[in-house]
Amino acid sequence: MSTAVATPPTTPVAAAPPKGRLSFLHLLRSEWIKFWSVRSTFWTLGTFLVTMVAMILLFTLALKSASDPSDPDATNALAPFILGVAFGQFAVAVLGALTITGEYSTGMIRTSLSAAPKRLPVLWSKGIVAGLSMFGVALIGVAVSAALQWLFFHDNGLGVDLGNSQHVRALIGTALYIATIGLLAFAFGALMRHSAAAVSSVLGLILLVPIVLQLVPWKPLQEIAVFLPGSVIAPSAGLLITFTDREIADFQTGSIGAHLTAWQGYGVLVAWVLVILAVAAILLKRRDA
Amino acid sequence: MIEAQGLTKRYGSKTAVDAISFTVEPGRVTGFLGPNGAGKSTTMRMIMGLDRPTAGTVAVNGKPYAQHHSPLTEVGALLEAKAVHTGRSARNHLRALAATHGIGDKRVNEVISMTGLDAVAKRRVGGFSLGMGQRLGIASALIGDPHTLILDEPVNGLDPEGVLWVRNLVRYLASQGRTVFLSSHLMSEMAVTADHLLVIGRGRIITSGPTATVIAQATQETVRVVSPQATDLAALLQGPDVTVTSDSPGVLTVVGATSVQVGELAAANRVVLHELTPVAGSLEEAYMSLTQDSVEYHSSEVPAAPTQEVAR
Repeated sequence: MSTAVATPPTTPVAAAPPKGRLSFLHLLRSEWIKFWSVRSTFWTLGTFLVTMVAMILLFTLALKSASDPSDPDATNALAPFILGVAFGQFAVAVLGALTITGEYSTGMIRTSLSAAPKRLPVLWSKGIVAGLSMFGVALIGVAVSAALQWLFFHDNGLGVDLGNSQHVRALIGTALYIATIGLLAFAFGALMRHSAAAVSSVLGLILLVPIVLQLVPWKPLQEIAVFLPGSVIAPSAGLLITFTDREIADFQTGSIGAHLTAWQGYGVLVAWVLVILAVAAILLKRRDA
Repeated sequence: MIEAQGLTKRYGSKTAVDAISFTVEPGRVTGFLGPNGAGKSTTMRMIMGLDRPTAGTVAVNGKPYAQHHSPLTEVGALLEAKAVHTGRSARNHLRALAATHGIGDKRVNEVISMTGLDAVAKRRVGGFSLGMGQRLGIASALIGDPHTLILDEPVNGLDPEGVLWVRNLVRYLASQGRTVFLSSHLMSEMAVTADHLLVIGRGRIITSGPTATVIAQATQETVRVVSPQATDLAALLQGPDVTVTSDSPGVLTVVGATSVQVGELAAANRVVLHELTPVAGSLEEAYMSLTQDSVEYHSSEVPAAPTQEVAR
């Protein structure tokens, strides 16, 4: 496949040498190019969008069939979104982890760290680009889901009310939660430098740990469970932001453990990300690349 | 200019690089020669700040690499083939790398055509041959038009045309006053590419100096003599700096004396010669003699270059 001709170095030097300079803005631009130039980004985000929209519409359809106009819960158009989140979050978690572990598995990290030898700016710019991109796509997923739900089901009273600030907060919160779970996986990836290890850590934390903590009939464990970053259905701190205040109050009534508000819960999720990222940053600075 | 002082790297109990000090000067090609596992790549990673030295320091153009404000225009490095995300196209890889320093697509296109990658630039790197990967690595090293180039085994996997291209390229870059530091385990390649050699074995510098000098010191000239009076001649030649061996009757191999000296000695003593042939040692032999102590697994000190004093 040697198609290239070995041309003698006629112009090894730029006519006008590139006047480059390393800066954080330049790093953001570089990470943006990197993020959007690998197939895994499109695969995972595509999977996320399809899963989320499909689950929300299917669940809304189920609600419609079981609809009893006198029951306010049955006409809660937000309820289907939790299933979209439950299934959609995994694709985004995989993307978050791959954003950094892909560099370790291919050796690309050495090129990245050679270009920015202070190292930490690479981690920050990567996280910012991945976080914002995932939030943007999650917001698109939420918007498309809400629009299609309204289009097909608003005659049945199943449509999100954009005039209701609680609904708007829950919808934006849904996108925030998904992007932040992606960043949690990113932080695990930076810590473990290994795709499978990072993805299974996040899945374990979201899928298994909440169930295990609920199964063990020991009160302190259930008090801890409230502070978990996320889950599929069991209430956890991070997930609160995807519910309206009324829903939160409903399932906190008589429940064990701290009663966090939506934003306090989101703060707990962000704290999980920051703590793991901080450990990853210390190791990144110390370890050989 | 690269300056290392007492540079050391240990992995557990294994010492990969053992307190080496050296200077790589600008304006010439410096070859870093040694067998596999001698510590070449580790040394280069330490120069680039990727591996943290256990002890010692290394500076590029006056300060540690990480402290430069514009690392890519200071140093370009090819550290291992395919330190590249396999899912990205060659062009996007170079664009992302250039973007870290705000370098535009114009320079990206320049290095793509310079390295002969035009035809494959849009293909994903995962499908690249070793040679293509090397070309992309060299393109990455050149992207910032750096003052200093560090190339780890740049000709690995290249076809003869590519080897020639790399040789011309590094010599050209050095002629512009840049610092060029390239490693290889092939002495024959170094002999025609490098102006200066730094020979490393088992983590220590065995010898360094101008390429011609290092090779001459390491290369043993022997003289093959055929004579009916071989035994007499052997006795005459015997001296502190000369060794004479014989594989078969009437045939001598002389180390430590030139053919001129042997011929004149024979004439003066009326010894009949049937054959007198100077035999130049090969580069491979020279390299083996330089590094043999460093590849064998015994714990003795690595000696300085085992040069045979030639009586002139």
